[in-house]
Amino acid sequence: MTSLKDRLLAAHDRDDRRGLIALYVEAADAAADIDAACFYLTHAYIYALETGDQAQDQLYLRLKAHERV
Amino acid sequence: MAKDIPPQTLDAVRQPIETANGLPNAHYIDPDVFDVEKQAVLCGTWAGLAVAADVPEPGDAKPIEFLGMPLLLVRDRQGQVRVFQNICRHRGMILVSEPKKIEGAIRCPYHSWCYSTSGKLVSTPHVGGPGHNTHEAIDKDLLGLIEVRSHIWFDTVFINIDGNAAPFEEVHADLIARWSDFDQPLHHGGADSTFILDVKTNWKLAVENYCESYHLPWVHPGLNSYSRLEDHYNINEKGKFSGQGTLVYRQLKGDDGTVFPDFAGLDPKWTEGGEYLTVYPNVLLGVQRDHAFVIVLEPISHEETREHVHLYYAAPETDDALRAKNSVQWRGIFEEDVFVVEGMQKGRHAPDFDGGRFSPAMDGPTHCFHDWVAGKVAVHLAAP
Repeated sequence: MTSLKDRLLAAHDRDDRRGLIALYVEAADAAADIDAACFYLTHAYIYALETGDQAQDQLYLRLKAHERV
Repeated sequence: MAKDIPPQTLDAVRQPIETANGLPNAHYIDPDVFDVEKQAVLCGTWAGLAVAADVPEPGDAKPIEFLGMPLLLVRDRQGQVRVFQNICRHRGMILVSEPKKIEGAIRCPYHSWCYSTSGKLVSTPHVGGPGHNTHEAIDKDLLGLIEVRSHIWFDTVFINIDGNAAPFEEVHADLIARWSDFDQPLHHGGADSTFILDVKTNWKLAVENYCESYHLPWVHPGLNSYSRLEDHYNINEKGKFSGQGTLVYRQLKGDDGTVFPDFAGLDPKWTEGGEYLTVYPNVLLGVQRDHAFVIVLEPISHEETREHVHLYYAAPETDDALRAKNSVQWRGIFEEDVFVVEGMQKGRHAPDFDGGRFSPAMDGPTHCFHDWVAGKVAVHLAAP
């Protein structure tokens, strides 16, 4: 299985913004600390905002829980 | 220099038509005067930018450069057409570089600040450091997109760039009343009902030619068979708008006799009537019983103009072949005018041309426009 980093880069290359939402969530869930998780969650949230994806509400709440939005 | 526009030349334009001269050459060939008119005539009034049909559905966005300014035409989620300066409030990056559908938010391609389609700044990623998306110095409520004052009438998007013009409905009250019969849905004919003409002329010459019927028998001989000069009348509303009307509008027919459906509830005067007006400064409109058109003149430079032509109908669905025939007919007529406006532009380099004279009987609409431009420029130059 390709690494998460490779899948992220491939999704960026494809400009697959909806795909990036899930991949950045996956990166956040695997992050070693809150700051790293919020970094990835931010990216997921931004792509969700841009694409109008309904995941934006849940992502907002996750960032809000850590006072990041 | 533009500030050296002699007041007496503007005064000469504003004389009664019998003795007036037209605007002098500098108003057509001098880039500095173009810049003055840009401020006085195009930014200080309600200028035409586009048509609402350019963004037919919520989320549609179209970047438009107007007078060198990057603007963004958007239909927001609620269906309201808005015009913004097409820049991020962060570092001034261009937000949208090609027409697109905004699915959710407008994301700046640089640092991904996001805006709603109504212009609200909704997210500032990492603005407080990695993973920290707020900062006390960045108040999102104060950093929405910069909206340009706009007004939609006759499906045309008018903008007042300097923000100081009186309300559109006030400025154009007489025109709105005159054409109140057409205050009803206008249906854009679609892709086959719009075209662009790039013309090597100052934008004002396109207005001047459009305003008057004097040239019709000479430049549009095809109209002579049914639309004689004496069947036209001048429309001169000094300080407001001008144009011409016809008393013998004849509906286009398909091979099988098909015609376009009429607009609803029109006064009988429109049965064979048509009117063709300029909404000063740069929008040319035409109405007839069964279709209308909008031409937005985009001033590219002092010697280049792009004409955006749009045809509208009374019903959302019309006969394809007839609609195509109508587009070809109008395109042909407008193309017949190209050599005239380009020829007058070249003529403006003749050093001893004094702006010319007007036929008191035939050139009233053109003089009316010159008078309006001269008045706007004079007020601008007199301002502290």
